[in-house]
Amino acid sequence: MDFFDALHTSSSGLSAQRLRMNLISGNLANISTTRTKEGGPYRRKEPVFAAQSPQTSFRKILASQNGDHLPHVKVVRIIEDQSPPLMKYDPNHPDADDNGYVALPNINLMEEMVNLISATRSYEANVTAVKAAKEMALKALEIGK
Amino acid sequence: MKDVSIYDTRGLLPRTPMLPKQTSPSPSASFEQMLQQSFSNVNQLQLEADKAVAALATGQEQDLHNTMITMEKADIAFRLLMQIRNKVINAYETIMRMGL
Repeated sequence: MDFFDALHTSSSGLSAQRLRMNLISGNLANISTTRTKEGGPYRRKEPVFAAQSPQTSFRKILASQNGDHLPHVKVVRIIEDQSPPLMKYDPNHPDADDNGYVALPNINLMEEMVNLISATRSYEANVTAVKAAKEMALKALEIGK
Repeated sequence: MKDVSIYDTRGLLPRTPMLPKQTSPSPSASFEQMLQQSFSNVNQLQLEADKAVAALATGQEQDLHNTMITMEKADIAFRLLMQIRNKVINAYETIMRMGL
């Protein structure tokens, strides 16, 4: 385990939060999308994170077997919200059903905003961790001065 | 009479002169070698940083932070090398000032 391992772990966290941000942007952009490739309204997407040990080299795998590992975060799946769509009465809409109801994505704007702030803060936390690791390395170099 | 098991045939074989010990890369590599090794490592990190910047500029790398972290790694490694160099120069100067 060296100084750079901390940087790599934070890097995986940054990538994960960036992807989460992308999905939230997609959710916000498609808040009233009624047509998708799969048919029906857009479904809210959310990432599933998993802690994984980085399996880059034999040495790292051996280290992880000895319990000496920093788990990286990895996006293993992107799930779609299966909650029923919101039904809105709008008979003039081209996607309205026979009763005049349009199926809209079940996306709560407040919830998405909260997730957005959470993703931003998590990203910032990872950046802070990177900075701290770098500061530590540079401080160590000052020992010889 | 002593029994001779098949596992004990080593004693029957003609004695071969002891081979000189395998000269594996000696753990105490010379200072120069060590220095050259670290030079090439640092150079490798610098080249990686260059590549990362090029990849970001050409759109192959999607993550800005990966490029930044690669650059930071190169920076830290270079600073460490500079510290070592300063130490070596210092030692040299100290020796040169030694009155004989």
